[in-house]
Amino acid sequence: MKSPAHLFSDFKNVMYKKYGENPGQMLVHTGVLGWILSSLAQVTAVVFNDKISPEQKTFLIPQEAADAFVNIVSFYVITSSFKNLASKLVSTGKLTTKPIKEFLTKQGVNSSEHIGKIGFNIENMANFNDIKGEYKSFKNGVDVVASTIGSIISCNIVTPLLRNEYAAKQQKKAIAKMHGTDTHDLKSPRGISMDTYIRLSSAKYSSGSLKI
Amino acid sequence: MALSNIGTYITSTPFYKGVSSAYRGLQQKALDIIPEAVYSNDKVIKGIRKTGEKISSAEQRLILGASALMSQPFIDAHNKSVDEKTRKVSVARTVAKIIAGTLTGYYIRKGCIKGIKALSEMPRANVKKYKTLFTPSNAKDNTSDPFLQYRNAMGTVVALVVMMFTNFLIDAPLTKFLTNTFIKHDEEDKK
Repeated sequence: MKSPAHLFSDFKNVMYKKYGENPGQMLVHTGVLGWILSSLAQVTAVVFNDKISPEQKTFLIPQEAADAFVNIVSFYVITSSFKNLASKLVSTGKLTTKPIKEFLTKQGVNSSEHIGKIGFNIENMANFNDIKGEYKSFKNGVDVVASTIGSIISCNIVTPLLRNEYAAKQQKKAIAKMHGTDTHDLKSPRGISMDTYIRLSSAKYSSGSLKI
Repeated sequence: MALSNIGTYITSTPFYKGVSSAYRGLQQKALDIIPEAVYSNDKVIKGIRKTGEKISSAEQRLILGASALMSQPFIDAHNKSVDEKTRKVSVARTVAKIIAGTLTGYYIRKGCIKGIKALSEMPRANVKKYKTLFTPSNAKDNTSDPFLQYRNAMGTVVALVVMMFTNFLIDAPLTKFLTNTFIKHDEEDKK
């Protein structure tokens, strides 16, 4: 059994090794961690809030959990897809700088055979060290730009749309439950009144729509 | 040891192999669609490099906050699933949350990254031990780009833990205050 000091030392070494040369991946992973901790805080806030009745909790806790699921999954899938695609563009030589392109030509890399092919990776080339500095700094920059664009699309466009859709369905169900009718019997999901909304939103101070 | 065995077992299952093959196929299709590009403009290359070096999670949070202000209130304002009054409160609340979340998110991340920088010096005779608290033992020097990225990563992780508390202590009351201010302002405008 390792001591806490030893575990902390291992943690620092892993962080250095894993993220030191991969800031784009760090942004994706810490972004996911941010969503997880933020969601955990939201659920905990509902669980331990005395002002919320047990009946409301049975509705709010699954809603928060589902909200968290949407946030985390959409963030990870979209942001990591952007980052991975950008990484592949650089590592397969499809997105390069002039010095990298010259290096590839010098090494006899064939455009139709290698460039843009998933099995090809500049980092695995024999003389990679000759271009490592130029390549790494360019790749890190592209990764960070891609992660940031992915985060913007995920956090500011996809997640709010999915969340609104989901929240509207939940509202419809809640109204149907309140009135003892089936959701199909409702003419349209008109939503709850402003008073009810404010009361609910003050009890549930944050809907988890924004990352910490 | 046990973990690596589990990993080997998972990666050798037909399901994993199928998903992995489909994913690679999808990636190849995406790569085929995108045309080849060679950047030769020094300003563009320098800009991309600087982004990789300078953008930490704090700056990313600021960018996310600014772009959120340009998109999320409009999405909420056009949410036809709720009535008009609810929509207005929802927009006010979203704007308030973006402002509160971005401000606390940015400053706490920045502060924690700065804190980690102060506590990750290389061990030397004249450096106090607590100043090396966050220095990884496998690091050779603390001026390299990987070390700066490590500081950003560690600072972000610490900031996320801090924000679990400030989420309740700062974000929540600030969001409530700003929401009420926006609603009040909107009502006064109508009068």
